[in-house]
Amino acid sequence: MSEVIVVTSGKGGVGKTTTTANVGTGLAMLDKKVVLIDTDIGLRNLDLVLGLENRIVYNLVDVVEGNCRPKQAMIKDKRHPNLYLLPSAQTRDKSSVTPEQMKELTDELRKEFDYILLDCPAGIEQGFQNAIAGADRALLVTTPEVSAIRDADRIIGLLEANENKKHADLIVNRIRMDMVKKGEMMTIEDVEDILAIDLIGAVPDDENIVISTNQGEPVVGSETSLAGQAYMNICHRIIGEEVPLLDLNGKKGMLSKFADLFKKN
Amino acid sequence: MKNSVVIKGNKYGIMVILDKDIPFEELISDIIEKFKESSKFFGSASMAISFEGRKLTTDEERRILDIISEYSEIDVICVVDNDKKREEMFKEKVEQKVTDISSASGQFYRGTLRSGQVLECESSVVILGDVNPGAKIISTGNVVVLGALKGIVYAGITGDASSFVVALEMNPVQIRIGDVIARCSDNKSILKKKKNKPETKIAFVEDDNIYIEPLNKDVLSDLQF
Repeated sequence: MSEVIVVTSGKGGVGKTTTTANVGTGLAMLDKKVVLIDTDIGLRNLDLVLGLENRIVYNLVDVVEGNCRPKQAMIKDKRHPNLYLLPSAQTRDKSSVTPEQMKELTDELRKEFDYILLDCPAGIEQGFQNAIAGADRALLVTTPEVSAIRDADRIIGLLEANENKKHADLIVNRIRMDMVKKGEMMTIEDVEDILAIDLIGAVPDDENIVISTNQGEPVVGSETSLAGQAYMNICHRIIGEEVPLLDLNGKKGMLSKFADLFKKN
Repeated sequence: MKNSVVIKGNKYGIMVILDKDIPFEELISDIIEKFKESSKFFGSASMAISFEGRKLTTDEERRILDIISEYSEIDVICVVDNDKKREEMFKEKVEQKVTDISSASGQFYRGTLRSGQVLECESSVVILGDVNPGAKIISTGNVVVLGALKGIVYAGITGDASSFVVALEMNPVQIRIGDVIARCSDNKSILKKKKNKPETKIAFVEDDNIYIEPLNKDVLSDLQF
């Protein structure tokens, strides 16, 4: 049984593309056949994050317009044999594709793939409508900031109002536990409280993400990166496994280790 | 832009101000034009109508009314004439009727109202869920939120100042009851709010001010509905 998942947020810059790349790669590492579709036509960058830019020949608009077959446009990832990318066009705009065409495409890809991940553009206009058209469920990415949460809230409303209501799961991205502890940042619970949807994972702010994005190599599954582990946990939850929430506090200082020691006794 | 026909709104309906100098046939075509362009704005609202600026015979008045029903979807309940006394009486009646409807009936809404969503009710309304920031409730009667109220709420929108708003967690951005508007203080941080436990509160109008008080027996018995 295959699933079409849209990664969306409303606000830009909260980590939709990074999340799509990492969750997609993670699912491929768990032996699922995955295709990632970049629906951000005109602002293509999922290929960069995956390090596949130089292999693009055909794109999403070519497929939709019938200039090539989907197979020809899909790029196989060099590191993961189960992972494919369908890049977006850079020279066109969002109106080159209609929601009906997207639905048709995702339905065709269902035959072959376990998971079809759609990287949604920011905003609630045509690009968003295209991306959600064929999706079964949504991953809603937000950061613990009022502006991102307000937009996420609007998106949930739009997803609920959509003709085939989509279940949305929440990913709280770029959380900084040091700031949360000082009371300077909203906690994960605060965000959950406002949005009132199920949490599927929380990803800490991690400089490894910046490095991995620039190198075109997703960080998911990396032992050394907390964000990588968080993304892997999300993948496990997507395929239906129950995984406890990651302890985002990371490395503990000497003092707190001592404190833990005394608590145990 | 011709000004031979001017439409003004008031709480009870619209007032059509007509030029008294131009020929009636010309006036008719101006009225057609005016109502055509504003038919979207008025929609199919029910309202009272009054004519000013020109003395109309019964026949003329009937013709204008026919035009209005032809070129717009306005449901004209009645025509108010310029007699001040009768107008007052009429206003009172309409107000009475609206108040009766809005406070005597109500409806339920299940679910969370999210940013960008607007709930309009021609009655009182009970919301089983939260009203998030950016969402709006407009009601002609009372509003009860069984959840957190963090958006904008208008109760008694037709001018009924005896309406009230109740919420399990009262934190509205803006609250309007009748013609009185209040907004929350400027410097509130999401982070600090958590410290005080949410408490069920009621908002009501007294002496042209909106008061928000914890909902308990004393407050309820003091209020007159």
